[in-house]
Amino acid sequence: MDLIEVSGLTKRYGGIVALSEAQFSAWAGEVHALVGENGAGKSTFIQILSGAVHPDEGKLQLEGQPYSPINPDAAQALGVAAVFQELSLIPDLAVEQNIWFRREPRTALLTVDGKALRRKTLELFDKYRFPPLDPARELRRLTLAERQLVEIAKGLAKDPRILILDEATSALPAKEAEWLLALTRQIAAEGRLVIFISHRMGEVRAIADRLTIFRNGSTVASHVATAVSDDEIVTQMIGRPLVRLYPERKATATERIALKVDDLRSGSRLTGASFELREGEVLGVGGLQGHGQRELFQSLFGASRATGSIELWGKPTQIANPRHALIGRDGIALVPEDRPGQGLLLTKSVRENLTLSVIRRFTDKGFLSRGREAALVKEMVDFLRIKAGTPEQLAGTLSGGNQQKVIFGKMLLTEARVLLLYDPTRGVDVGTKGEIFQLMRDLAARGYAILFYSSDLPELVHVPDRVLVLRSGRVAATLGAGRVSEEAILRAAVLDEAA
Amino acid sequence: MSVSVAERPAETEPARHLAWRGWLLDRAPFLVACLMLLVVVAIYGALQKGVFTLDEINLDTAAAMTLILAATGQTIVLIRGGIDLSIGGVISLGTVIAATQFSDDPLTVVMWSALILAIGFAVGALNGLLISALKLQPFLVTLASWSILNGIAMLILPTDGGGVPGWWIGFSYNQILGLASPVWMLIGLIIFWYWFRATRLGITIQATGSNEKSAFLSGVSIARINVVTYGLSGLFAAAAALYLTTQTGAGSPTIGKDYILPSVAAAVIGGVSLFGGRGHLLGTVIGALILTLIGNLVFVLRVSSYWQPVMSGVILLVAVLASSLAEKTARGQEQ
Repeated sequence: MDLIEVSGLTKRYGGIVALSEAQFSAWAGEVHALVGENGAGKSTFIQILSGAVHPDEGKLQLEGQPYSPINPDAAQALGVAAVFQELSLIPDLAVEQNIWFRREPRTALLTVDGKALRRKTLELFDKYRFPPLDPARELRRLTLAERQLVEIAKGLAKDPRILILDEATSALPAKEAEWLLALTRQIAAEGRLVIFISHRMGEVRAIADRLTIFRNGSTVASHVATAVSDDEIVTQMIGRPLVRLYPERKATATERIALKVDDLRSGSRLTGASFELREGEVLGVGGLQGHGQRELFQSLFGASRATGSIELWGKPTQIANPRHALIGRDGIALVPEDRPGQGLLLTKSVRENLTLSVIRRFTDKGFLSRGREAALVKEMVDFLRIKAGTPEQLAGTLSGGNQQKVIFGKMLLTEARVLLLYDPTRGVDVGTKGEIFQLMRDLAARGYAILFYSSDLPELVHVPDRVLVLRSGRVAATLGAGRVSEEAILRAAVLDEAA
Repeated sequence: MSVSVAERPAETEPARHLAWRGWLLDRAPFLVACLMLLVVVAIYGALQKGVFTLDEINLDTAAAMTLILAATGQTIVLIRGGIDLSIGGVISLGTVIAATQFSDDPLTVVMWSALILAIGFAVGALNGLLISALKLQPFLVTLASWSILNGIAMLILPTDGGGVPGWWIGFSYNQILGLASPVWMLIGLIIFWYWFRATRLGITIQATGSNEKSAFLSGVSIARINVVTYGLSGLFAAAAALYLTTQTGAGSPTIGKDYILPSVAAAVIGGVSLFGGRGHLLGTVIGALILTLIGNLVFVLRVSSYWQPVMSGVILLVAVLASSLAEKTARGQEQ
């Protein structure tokens, strides 16, 4: 019998239909993948399952009983736990406090029993063979990947019958991601259901028993994983055959140097990086995680303190803070790593997000010109194909891919021609990924200079003109056209003697 | 299939060093407050004889207690990420009710005291309910209830006056083991705090202030937390009102406003974050002591009493600067 069965599920946000008559069924003991583009309704679907959002219409059944959790607590009580993509953790609490939040062991005095809390945490880590994680550390001191581990631990601590993993691997380094995939299989083998959402087809292939494809808020099809090809899945996801993911790479770089960096140092991770980025060039940045990539982007944008020299369009520049970095056509713009934290104000509208940092472009003698603003916003929404009901829709209600597009729009409106893209396709679906790559090449052809970091190796191989490989905070190798391959990048990232 | 290039670099020496500095930076606002208290006490002690005696501790604690009680409620609300201006109204109303209803009969006093505390809690709970149900700003809701309560206090007692029994006024002079009752109250308050912050309720309030959306996704009922948080704030404000009548011996329909901003200032000086999620009552107590001792300092310096708000303002600035610098430095290192 099906453990969970859903039919006719509909949810609207303003004028946007997030889910329309969606169907889903899955049984205990399987890993059931949910695939679809951003905005296909997957996130809304799991939010409904986990009690965070209420559907407008639809029938949900859990073990044959009607299932309509009024809040996340009610869902948890029935054994449904979700590991959210945009994290549900508390920054000011310790790792162990987060994992057992509101279910802490207590003493006779009703206070939290610290010893029992530690013991339970270590037992949990032990049971599921977690990668090393200090239970006492405050969450806000953790990296994104570590936070994701805590979120996973929090889900597992509830010992759920249905575990929902929403893009849980996208923030994890390769080793941890592999661990999670193995863990997922183990949990399913225990007779539980894992609903697994991922944009990485390889992962879905590796662990899913069955998969359900969502498109535009509806269910397109369900398949037994072994009975369907990658091409069929992608075609059903995007509603048309995907011609190609990576755009044609025409050399558009000129001789003009847009950004020259010499001996840039910041903190303990970035220890003297030097390189040049030319007009019309897409320059990739690779290397093992934690070897200075994040610090490089943050220092160039002025968000971290750094020493060394930076020349923009031939002029020496001091970038003390992001405001300096933004100014005008000679500026630098960043697409940051942590969308809700750094790039986007979720409780502001799409329009406000787009124009917030460039408000002076719409002012006329100190007065705001609504007309100019509206025109530019419309241009950007059309250009980037942002799927929003109106420009006044709150950014927080958009899908992940559309949020990323808003950040791109925000960046482009600054008119800066040196763009820093930090893992811009993390958690973004195949279709939008293709659009983003094409956009990058188009911008390069128009004279933009782009520095591009990705945690996804094939992207580095197929999109940029050249790739810098960072190791221990320095440029270990620069791989030019024809010399870039996954192997060459890894070799330079790991070995002392770079090829 | 996509392959991620990644490997966790081993925890390095610098990282451990940073963890230690992070610990210190986290507590920087509190440490700065302690330092400021030391400076104020040192100046005061240098100018006045007998500062370092039990008597002086008893007196100063008695003088600071109203503010400490009011600021305790404010601290809970601030940690929740809100603010409570209505405590001004609760304090005024509380003193007015006490001054008009208390009689020599201890039973009457106990009954009316209980009622005043209940009113304080109810007003706060209503604030919390309005904030959650109508999704209104805490600032505006509590500003409105301050005004309403203030008006009611005026209707009950238009000018300062009324009275309380003599034995009630003598409360702060009672001593056990050489320590006056306000000092014991303070000790009790701090014990309460250490207990409260370790309870699920305490942690949930902190968590909700730290990140409301995450707390909601973790199953917290935001409305319930608001009702309890503001209710507690009202309760402590009512306690402050009762204590205040032991000091003034009368009721005042306007006295509450003197505690609204100082209660916020005491908490902020002590390192409580206005953005929620962080803070400790010890810091607030230190902040309240600093603000109270400045009054003494102005007195012994023999300067105009108008210097008191000036000095309070400067100290508030120093405190805010300290916490903002610490936050920036900490953030710079985390990146």
